[in-house]
Amino acid sequence: MSTVIEVRGLRKVYGDFVAVGGLDCTVEQGDIYGFLGPNGAGKSTSIRMMMSLITPTAGTIKLFGQPLETHREAILRRVGAIVERPDFYNYLSAQRNLELLGRLSGADVSTRSINRVLGIVGLAERATSKVKTYSHGMKQRLGIAQALLHNPDLIVLDEPTTGLDPHGMKDMRDLILALAADHKKTVFLSSHILPEVELTANRMIIINRGKAIVEGTVQDLLNAGKLRVTIGVSNAATAASVLGTAQLPHDIQIADNALIMMLERSEIAPVVQHLVQHGIAVDSVVPVRSLEEYFLTITKEAA
Amino acid sequence: MMTVLRVELSKVFSKWRTFIGFIAIGVLVPIVIIAMGLEGNTYFSFATQVLRQQFDFAGNLMNGYTVAYIIQGMLYIHVPFLVTLVSGDILAGEATAGTYRLIFTRPVRRSTVVTAKWLASMLYTVLLVLWMAILSMGIGIPFLGTGELVVIRSTITIIAVDDVLWRFLAGYGYAALAMMTVASIAFLFSSLVENAIGPIMTTMAIIIVFTIISAIDVPLFDYIRPALFTNHMNGWRYLFDDPVNWSKLITSASVLVAHIAACFTATMIILKRKDILT
Repeated sequence: MSTVIEVRGLRKVYGDFVAVGGLDCTVEQGDIYGFLGPNGAGKSTSIRMMMSLITPTAGTIKLFGQPLETHREAILRRVGAIVERPDFYNYLSAQRNLELLGRLSGADVSTRSINRVLGIVGLAERATSKVKTYSHGMKQRLGIAQALLHNPDLIVLDEPTTGLDPHGMKDMRDLILALAADHKKTVFLSSHILPEVELTANRMIIINRGKAIVEGTVQDLLNAGKLRVTIGVSNAATAASVLGTAQLPHDIQIADNALIMMLERSEIAPVVQHLVQHGIAVDSVVPVRSLEEYFLTITKEAA
Repeated sequence: MMTVLRVELSKVFSKWRTFIGFIAIGVLVPIVIIAMGLEGNTYFSFATQVLRQQFDFAGNLMNGYTVAYIIQGMLYIHVPFLVTLVSGDILAGEATAGTYRLIFTRPVRRSTVVTAKWLASMLYTVLLVLWMAILSMGIGIPFLGTGELVVIRSTITIIAVDDVLWRFLAGYGYAALAMMTVASIAFLFSSLVENAIGPIMTTMAIIIVFTIISAIDVPLFDYIRPALFTNHMNGWRYLFDDPVNWSKLITSASVLVAHIAACFTATMIILKRKDILT
């Protein structure tokens, strides 16, 4: 497995404002790499630097082992990208947009080839319609099509589900998974929508204020730290006071017939045992570890 | 380069605004020719009324060449605006639409894209002048016939029929150069902003201000006047001196070429360093 993206000490400063403050990240071949961060974290600026739209103030970007600064054209031949909004030449048809953009990428721009990628994103029937008649979701899909047309090895998607309805979001997720699984692409997926990354990425980084907070596999990051545990009980108020006197978890929320608390995995059994020993019937224990919890926790800690 | 140029030309000629200039000239030139055909002799008599006290004018003087000369003199009033419609939009339009992101993430050098865009806007400009030439001569000559060209400036120059055509061809070439200067200025402003209105208005404002400075006979302006491109846009008229004033013509053309080169170079530097934030 080879490294597709290697970013070291990437910085972008506008006057006194530090947009990206020394980012490091590594993306391996075949990854669906989640690039997470709250709004304003520096995700889009980082992507723009990786795509040579913005000149970094400092740091290095290597794609496919080559420095972007010196091998820009050779690198971009192997990269397809949607950077932020899917903007196109609205006065041209989807087919014509792809033809012109494909020519610039050195792609096969035959009608057959264009219709093939439009078919992948489900736009074949609207190929000859002008883009100004497209919905936002259709433009997002056309964005994917233009990124795929020259058969790149790396696909960079910046907030690809923004503005999509739930069906559109699911279609996009399925498409991203298929790109990695069926077409063997490496996908760099920037998003602030956590479930999107949780459901698609295998590795991820969380950035805030232009710096990496954590990087690792999604599974490892999900298993780290505390779980949100919902314990179904017969009498929630009594159960909470039982736990309170025992100096077990203090941060307890009382819901209808349930207690909700943040616990290490190793703390779950003693808590349940304590409740049962004090005559509290426990009918369910649901530990949940969501990326959202983790994200909110870790970005709060970083702040 | 040719691929990128073809792409740029495809985009330029897919836009409605590109054809506004051709339509405007396509309407204006025949109207002027018809008006001159109907009322031209009155106009010519009025223009030469003082001279007629001392000279006799004979022959078909309000001919196709005369009208083409008058139309070419009007070039500097409306064609700059038509030129800026495209060249002012060619970069700013990408910023407005957010499509810089599409073209600058392709495996093509920015310098190639800028050069292709500049060439596309120059080609459009040349075609616009060519269209005006074709209409002026193509309609004017069959409609009004040919004849000697009487050029009335500070002196009267009468150019023989068989000596006129090459002057017009060279004159349209010079006119194209003058309009390319305007296009290059609009192209430069187009690289600085995110809306095509700005470059169009700024270029037109510069033409108006420089034209006023060129026209005001104040010693202070004597130093800057030779460097103003507006002072040289009418340089094609030297071709209608007899003999042709090659020295002045080449000087004026050189000033225009220098403006074009400066604008193109500045645009290239700006675009190569520009952070694409739209």
